[in-house]
Formats: sequence, structure tokens, C-alpha cells
Amino acid sequence: MSSWPTETKYISHSTPRIDAPAKLTGKARYSSDIQADGWLYGMILRSKWPSAKILSVNLEKARQIPGIKAAVTVKDFPQTIRYYGEEIAAVAGATKAACLDALRVIEIKAEVRHEFVVNEDEARKDNSAQVWDGTTNASAPRVHEQGSVDTAFPECAAVIEGFYTTPVQLHHAMETSGSTTSWTDEGLTSWASTQGISSVRDGLAGALQLDHSKVRVITEYMGGGFGAKFGAGVEGVLAAKLSKEAKAPVRLMLTRFDQALAVGNRPSSFQKIKMGATADGTLHAFEAENYGTAGIGAGGDAGGGGGGADIPMPYLYKVPNTRVKQSMVAVNAGSARAFRAPGNPPASFGMESAMDDLAVKLGMDPLEFRLKNDPNPIRQREYKMGAEKFDWKQKYQKPGSSPGVLKTGIGCAAAAWPAGGASKSTQGEARINPDGGIEFRLGVQDIGTGTRTVIAVVAAEMLGLKPEQITVRVGDTNFPPGPGSGGSTTCASISPTVYDVCTQALRQLQTQSGLADARGENWFAACKKLGVNPLVVHGQWQPGLSDSHACGVQFAEVEVDTETGLVTVKKILGVHDCGLIINKITLESQINGGIIMGMGYALYEERVMDDLSGVVLNPNFETYKLPGIADVPEIEVVLINMPERGVIGIGEPSTVPTAGAIANAVANAIGARVSSLPITPAKILAALGKVPPFVNA
Amino acid sequence: MKAFRYATAHSTDSARELVAGTGAYLAGGNDLLGLLKDYLINAPEILVNIKSLPGLNKIERGDKFWTVGSLVTVAQIENHAEIKMVFPGLHEAASEVASQQIRNVATVGGNLAQHSRCWYFRHRDTVCLKKTGDLCYARNGENRYHSLFTGNTCISPVVSSLATIFTSLGATAIVLREGKETRMSMAELYHRAWENPLAHNSLNNGDLILRVEIPTTRGRSAYLQVSDKHAFDWALVSCAAAAEVRDGKLKSPRVALGSISPVPHQVEAANDFLDGKVLDDAAATHAADMILQDAQPLKHNAYKVPLAHALIRRTLLKLNGDA
Repeated sequence: MSSWPTETKYISHSTPRIDAPAKLTGKARYSSDIQADGWLYGMILRSKWPSAKILSVNLEKARQIPGIKAAVTVKDFPQTIRYYGEEIAAVAGATKAACLDALRVIEIKAEVRHEFVVNEDEARKDNSAQVWDGTTNASAPRVHEQGSVDTAFPECAAVIEGFYTTPVQLHHAMETSGSTTSWTDEGLTSWASTQGISSVRDGLAGALQLDHSKVRVITEYMGGGFGAKFGAGVEGVLAAKLSKEAKAPVRLMLTRFDQALAVGNRPSSFQKIKMGATADGTLHAFEAENYGTAGIGAGGDAGGGGGGADIPMPYLYKVPNTRVKQSMVAVNAGSARAFRAPGNPPASFGMESAMDDLAVKLGMDPLEFRLKNDPNPIRQREYKMGAEKFDWKQKYQKPGSSPGVLKTGIGCAAAAWPAGGASKSTQGEARINPDGGIEFRLGVQDIGTGTRTVIAVVAAEMLGLKPEQITVRVGDTNFPPGPGSGGSTTCASISPTVYDVCTQALRQLQTQSGLADARGENWFAACKKLGVNPLVVHGQWQPGLSDSHACGVQFAEVEVDTETGLVTVKKILGVHDCGLIINKITLESQINGGIIMGMGYALYEERVMDDLSGVVLNPNFETYKLPGIADVPEIEVVLINMPERGVIGIGEPSTVPTAGAIANAVANAIGARVSSLPITPAKILAALGKVPPFVNA
Repeated sequence: MKAFRYATAHSTDSARELVAGTGAYLAGGNDLLGLLKDYLINAPEILVNIKSLPGLNKIERGDKFWTVGSLVTVAQIENHAEIKMVFPGLHEAASEVASQQIRNVATVGGNLAQHSRCWYFRHRDTVCLKKTGDLCYARNGENRYHSLFTGNTCISPVVSSLATIFTSLGATAIVLREGKETRMSMAELYHRAWENPLAHNSLNNGDLILRVEIPTTRGRSAYLQVSDKHAFDWALVSCAAAAEVRDGKLKSPRVALGSISPVPHQVEAANDFLDGKVLDDAAATHAADMILQDAQPLKHNAYKVPLAHALIRRTLLKLNGDA
């Protein structure tokens, strides 16, 4: 069985991103930077109705706009529209202006339907408009039961009930979804902004009925995906169709407006939780009813990767007596998709809020309450490390006891990501030149997490070279197949693969050069003996070098202005593990990003829809609020390195507990629970009883 | 965006001539270009670049009043060392506007004349009252950012931070209207928005704000706003206060609020109440009660009442300063 070296020079140390200079100088080419010969802009016409039957679409006037080279429709007619923003047609033209003008003159014959519903609670009612004809919007509840809840509650010393809700969170990676795509007689090349070049290749080939070998997907650089960008997407297929018609490459990158409507989101959750513990603080009974919407994805269509509305309950805690009922509600809105740790941030927020509420009722320190009920030994260790670092015992005060108008509070919460692991079919190759140059090729993609650098670090360690001596090429379906970058699996997939490629390379070099050890100072001598031809070696993922299930806990300190409701996060401490740390600096960066995203979920982000018109009211960064630099606190990351476990990914767990920790810190500060995300000044003031009741005149 | 002609004016007369009919003045363009791109207003046939108009980009000191040209940028105000001393509230208001990049190009005239930020008005596919539709969607819809006061059915609030502080400072806008300089108080500059849902201020097409005169009679001023976020976010409520303080007593105090009414919200009775008072927590609280007593909160914006109350008290108490 393979094993990682114990004495390391690069692994578990910090190597700055090897592609940082390219990114900083603008040399790095993202999908929208591709300047393929004769390229055109592509743009999409979306439904301005939340519900309609499109009878026909006339593209003639659009085609007559000067500069327009192609116009296509998305579907055959009649097309049923189920949400505001659903794609209807697309155009390609020489300028953005031409495309915008063309979209405005497309003629649509439609039967507009006034029956639609965008609100979860309305959609659950018996007389609600149906998103999918003939099907109730709410699915039949799925019930999981163990033990005996009904007899367990009376045995509890303390019981709390709460209604914890989370909004729909939109996918707003810095780089929007889209591609530059060229479809000629020779085949199709798509420079796509994707987390999965292979899945996009397969998706395009399937949708366009092309031989897989005729489709090449390239993702040199990429500005974030978070679960939204595994498939070709409607926009990817449209770019291809436009390219074919225009006989030119088409750059179809979504606008920020587009991005808010139709590329997936995190489902909402409405969690009614009843939970009880015995007098010694042992969780004893848990009953929950949860519903949430995955948009139209809660009905018949889960296009783009699904993302159901169910969440793990009672999350990472073991309760002997539980009854959990969950159902999904369809509304006339864009479908959900996988979103960084699907199901987990809402589950963590609900359960961790309930944990604190119950701890307060029991008169226990919430951290002690967790230590008592969290069965995971790694988190036990992390809580203890974090508590010491955070000075928990010193800082913890009874809820609401902070004096004055500006109240401070602290809270904590935990993450679980039992999934993860590795994609065992990952392959890679290296080409070693007689001059000592070495190039790795993996059909993985670097979505901004530092995948290139991880490859260089592992290779440098194994070969006794420096990371800057390693050339890394990723993001091309012509390379050996790699994993999709999702589920916190990338690092655990590629690190063992690179390990294997290096092992094969050293073995071959030894054979061909006659040198006992080709590493380090012998490298160039060994390579020189290759003669004229480069050595190409192939490797694949090997067992024993990676694992799954990262944990992690986070602590938050906040200050709340009890007169204005403004929450200021003062500090977040994250204590995380992910097995063997490969590169500390990019790992910390990823955790920082997870925490900031979690802050957005806690305090700012929410898709707002209008009941009457069915539109998304905040399809922009003006009113879909994201954390800015002025909002971001001091973030401290403490890592536990566990080489014995092998490599584990970190993407998901780093964002899971942040909202729960912040919500608990807020409750601790003000002595009242804001049980609904995002925690806005309006909700703080309401929780404090300062908002006069609304009287409907 | 619809095609338009473009011309640069070098005098106010030529600007007025060029814009006549359905033209629009272009200065910083932050608001105008967004409106045009989203087809939210009747498209002007011509955009008249006024950035080269002489004399309008100056801040001029004076004993009785200061003059701020309409082409002065928000950043110029923010970075003006003397303004920070003489009109601290103006400095504070300017520094809260949008982001540094926007402040660098946004002008005083543009900030005052900016259109509604109501998300129904700004939405490309809703036709609300403000866009000649027959319904205010916000009234029974998502109104968390909307007004507590209005004189008509539309509840889109004024969001100009500068209007709020200028109101409290008793500033006057000098507007070129049909060739004549017309003096308008801030109340007059916005009054039409109070009664007419189609208006966001009292300017007619072709009117051009030339400058703002700020009397120096109020030596103390302060501005505070609270947003959902800590920077680059619209105020949920903003509040400005200004007064002279003599022998510990307020003289000519004025309080104004933004984001809770289509006009900068002020209550004369509250100003009168404060006049001659020693400013303490009780006086500030009573003034806040008076200013908000007729508020008509809707389903999602009632939180603005306690928030505004807190801001009024805090802004007023800032006037006591260290002196």
C-alpha cells in the first residue's frame, strides 16, 4: 500500500499559487477572454412572464438587425414557461449593442397565464396555482422515525420549539456561467466556465448528438462554480447552436441579471423543530418538519444537477428518538442546483440554533452542551482547541447580559461533510523531457481553489524538485480524464494520482538512466540519459492516500447595535481538518472564502421574489447583497494536520457552520433569537420587540 | 439602449438649447446611463455632456454661505479639509455615498437629481405607478426599503444622502429654469415627488441645477445612516441634523431624514421644539417622537420607525460635539 512521505519539504507547507503571476498580469485566460477568430457575442431572450405558453417565436426582425449573424430558439413550440427568466431564444452578433437590440425585436406569441405562485407558503395551500399541471406543489412528506418520540418528550427535563428559516441563496460566482464555443464541421470546442470539463463534454455531445470525440472542452482558468457549473447548461447548448448557424465562435457569458434567474440556487428551508434533553444535557427527543423550495426543480424537472430541498436532520447530532418529516414545494422560480455543501448550511443553521436555544433553557454553556452530544472525536478535539484559542470560557456571558446599547456575543457551530472522498477513476500523465523539464497533464480543472498548485506541490515533493520547476496543464478534455471539481473531492482525487504518476516516472527513469535514484540532484542527469525522446508516463488514483469526511468547527464574535439592528462580525475562528494538508496557504484561502460565503448567508443574501408579478426583484448586486471587504472581520484559521488519514477536501465544510455560529453569537448578544436568515437590522429590531405591529388598513 | 445624439456644451445657454425638447444632461452618468440601459425612462434624443461647463466644478467659501457647484464630485466634498471643519455633516454624508469609484465621478447635481431606487421601478419587467402603470406593487408587496410617509400612492423614497444633509443645513439649490436662475429650497426641489408618483423631484425637463448655496449659520452638523451592510449600500434610513449652538442651546436647528419619504423628511414643529433647547437625551427623544408620529408603516418597513428614532437621537446628540 502506498503512503505519503513523513518528512516533507512542500507538502503541508505553503507554496504560493503557481498561477498567481498569470492571474495578476491578466495573462490567465478565462472563458470570456478567449478571442477565437471572428468571434461573436451571444445573448439570451428570457421570459418576462412567470407562467405562459409560448405559441410561436418569430426571429426574422432580429436577424435583420445589422451585425446579427444567428438567431435560434431554445425549444420547439408550444413551449411551456414555468418561471420568470426561463430561456426562450438567443442571438449572436458582432456587438453587444446589436444583440441587445435584436432581443428586443423578437416577436413572441404567447398565452400568458396569470396562475402562478412564487411563495412557498402560498404554494403549499390546497387552492394554490399548480407549477406542474395536475400535481400538487408540495410533495408527500417523507418521514424518518426512530425510537419513540412521543414517549421521549415527556421524559425530557427541557424542551424547546423553534421555527428556523433560510432563504433561497443565489449562485453568484464572480465569473458568471457561460462559454466561448466554436462548432465547425471538424467538431466542437467549448471554452467553458465549468467545474467539470468531462461532464460538459458529455452534456454537449448528448444534446447536440455529436460523437464524444468530436467535442473538446477547455477550461484554462475559472472564476468559481460552487455547484452551479457541472453541466453544459442551456446557455452552453445555445452557444453551440448559434456558433453552428453563424459559422463563427460565439461568446455567450451570462449577465448578472441572467445569473440571478436560471443557473440554480440553494433551496430555502422552513424548519419547525422541537427538541428535548434530559437534565444532564443529553439530547433525548427530536421532532422536525421541514419544507423548502427547489423552484420548478421541486416538481418534474431537476435539470442541471438537481439539488433537492431535503436537509440532514438532526444534522450531526445523535438523538435516540427522532421523527423527521420533509417535503419539497414547487414554485414558479428557477430550479435549485448543487450549492456548496448541499443541504448542510441550512441544516447547520437550524440545528445549531436549536442547540443553543435548548442549552439556554437547560442553563448549560452551549459549548459544553455540544461536547456532551457531538459523537465525533475530531470535532471534540476541535471544539477544545478552538475554545482555548477563542478564550470561550472568559468571553461567554449569559444571553443578553452584555451591557449597553452595543452588545457583544459569541457563538459556535459545527460542520460535517461525510461525503467527499475521491473520484477513483482519476488519471494523469507526465511528459519528462531530456532537458529535465516536466509537464503534468490532468483532465481536471482549477476552479480557483489552487488545483494547479496542489499538483505542483505533490510533484515537487515526490520528485525532489521545486514547485516552480513543474509545469502543470489542466482543464482540457484531451488530457487523461479527471474528476469534476465538486463535493470536496478534487484534492483527494488528484493528489494520489500525481503521486502515482511520479512513482511511475521515477521507476521508468531508474530503468532508462541506470541511476538508482532519479530524484533531486540526480534529476537532470537522469533525464539527460533519456536521449532524444521525452518520457511519457501515465498514472492513476491509488488507494490508501486519501480519505473522506472532514469535520470542522467555527466560533463567531459579533457586536449588535440594539438600537439600529446592525450586526458587525468582529471575529471568526475556524478550526478545520482535512486529513493530510497538501498546501497550507491555498487551504486557508479556501476556508476564508467558505467563511465569507457563510457570512453572506447569515447576514445578507436572499432572493426576493414578488408575489404579484412573479419576478425576481433583486437580480443584481445592488439589492442581492453580498459581503464586501468592509463587512469581513478578522478570520483566524487553525488547522489540524492528520497525515495518517491521507488527503481530504475542504471546500464544503468550511462554509457549513458559519451562519449557525453567527446566528448563535447574535442571540447570545441580544438575548433573543433571530430564527430567520438573513439576520438583517429589520429582524434584529423585531426580535428585540421594538417594531410596532403592522396594522393592515 | 436606444440610439441618441451626443453633444458637449460649453456654456449653460448652449446646454439649455441643446437639451431642449427631450434631451438629458449628462454629468457623472451613474444614474442616467443605468436608466437608459434598462429602458426605464423615455429615451432622450440627445445627451448633452455638461462636464465642460465653466465654473460649476468649484467649491467657494464665503462668510454667509458657501457655494458648491453642481459638477463638484462627491469625492471632492468628501476630501475637502475645510468642509470637514465647517460642515462636518456634509463630509459624513458624502463619504457614505456608494463606493469610492462612484464618488470619484458622481456629481452633486446628479446626486440630487437621481431617480428612484425602488426595485419595482428599477425592474425591467414591471410597469409600476412610477412608470405610468396603474399600480404601486410595493404598497402590498416587498416594501422593506420603502417610505413611512408619502403624499400619494407611490412609496418610493428619496435616497440622496446630499439632499438629506443639505435640507438640515438649510441649503438652496440654484436652478437654471427657462433661462432664469431660480432659487429652490430642498423642500421645493423635491416637493413634486410628494404628490406625483411620476416625479422624483420638482425639476422640469431642461432645468439644470447650477449650484447649491449652504448658509454658514449652522456651525454644527452631523449625518448618520444605517444600511444592511457596512459600506457601499443604500441607507435603510439616513438622518442629518444641523444647528448653531450658543451657550449650550440650539439655535435654528433642523433635522432631516432620507429613505423614509419621497422628499427629505422634516417636521417643522420638531425643529421649533428644539430651538432654544439644551440638547439632551430627553429633548432629542421628544424631537424624534414628533418627527415620526405620523409615520404610516407598511408590512415590511415598520422597523424603520425605531431605526429612524435611534438615528434622530444620535445625530442630534452628535451636535453637542466636544465643544
